[in-house]
Amino acid sequence: MSARVLLVEDSPMINGALKLLLESGGFDVTVATTAAEAKAAGSDVRADVMLLDISLPDEDGLAVLEALDARGMRPSTTFAMTGHSDAATRERCIAAGCSDVLLKPVPVNQLLRIVSEAVA
Amino acid sequence: MSEQTTVKSPSPRDTVPDRLAALEAQLAQSQRLIMDLEERDALKTQFLSNISHDLRTPLTAIITHAEILRDGILGELTSKQRESISTIITGGRQLLDMIAEILMHARDSSEPLTLVESEFSIHEVVEQVTSLNESLVAKKGLSLERYLSPALPPVRGDRDKVIHVLTNLLGNAFEFTPSGGRVWVDAGMSPEDPDNLVLIEVGDTGRGIARDHHELIFREFAQVDSSASRVHHGTGLGLTIARRFVELHGGRIWVESELGYGSRFFFTLPVNRRSE
Repeated sequence: MSARVLLVEDSPMINGALKLLLESGGFDVTVATTAAEAKAAGSDVRADVMLLDISLPDEDGLAVLEALDARGMRPSTTFAMTGHSDAATRERCIAAGCSDVLLKPVPVNQLLRIVSEAVA
Repeated sequence: MSEQTTVKSPSPRDTVPDRLAALEAQLAQSQRLIMDLEERDALKTQFLSNISHDLRTPLTAIITHAEILRDGILGELTSKQRESISTIITGGRQLLDMIAEILMHARDSSEPLTLVESEFSIHEVVEQVTSLNESLVAKKGLSLERYLSPALPPVRGDRDKVIHVLTNLLGNAFEFTPSGGRVWVDAGMSPEDPDNLVLIEVGDTGRGIARDHHELIFREFAQVDSSASRVHHGTGLGLTIARRFVELHGGRIWVESELGYGSRFFFTLPVNRRSE
């Protein structure tokens, strides 16, 4: 069975590209464009990997991780994605339980490698 | 802009109370003008910040889609197609760097930058920044040399900002040094204060900078060649931000250079910053 990736990214232009990329790598991808959608999708089926944009239109992206954790549906690995990976942002994401912080645009070969390693 | 009214200037023939009243009116008008300009400046800064953020999203999509095509995920490409797409990616990433500089400058104007401090090794920072540039160095046919004093103590400061300064200085050195040239990083304790001041040099054998421009290059938006036909493009903010970051640490940045004889940029960082 393919590993499940929950992709949380509000821009259709970006999530379209990343979905295409991850599906080409053999992953089963669910896209959420808001924190509310991500909480719902992540509560239905536990994701192996969550790629989480931390700036979402309705809420701070890290609230998704907190909500899934509270429901016992925390993904095995979560990578935060952000446009400004400064030390303070990084610290906040790691403290919230993210395994790493990826600076957008994440080079596609790097993204495929780290997601593959996370589910290996 | 707020409506401007002409305030009568005091005349020597006016009585003292009249002259005082006229001066007070002038003062009030100047204060209104200052407030108006401050409001406009804040609006401009907010606009720059918003537009920089909004520019990143489509650019991120362009770069990601182009990388998917380049890597043959949607089918194999000819070498010429791959080369063309690689140029889109390089251009897109350059544009992203410029947007990041504008955003940082706009943020600094509206909400002064602060340091996120930790203790870090200058050796590791130099290693990280130089190794990230190895492919560029090879592609341009340059040599990159490192001279790091083994006795450098760990520095207390903002690691990301120091990386930014070094990346900027090295990026300029690579850009302005022709193929076959040398670029080097030298780090040791400063003779000025050998116990508490680290001195880092980024040098190159490139085109050099005329003495008249040594101060100008650190000013915001300044470019040595500001014509539209100039060969090297950028925001003119890179060295302004580098100076801001170094000064936030209590250090100093400067250049020693002659036109045609390469450039040597220096910056200092206190090992232990005194709390402000």
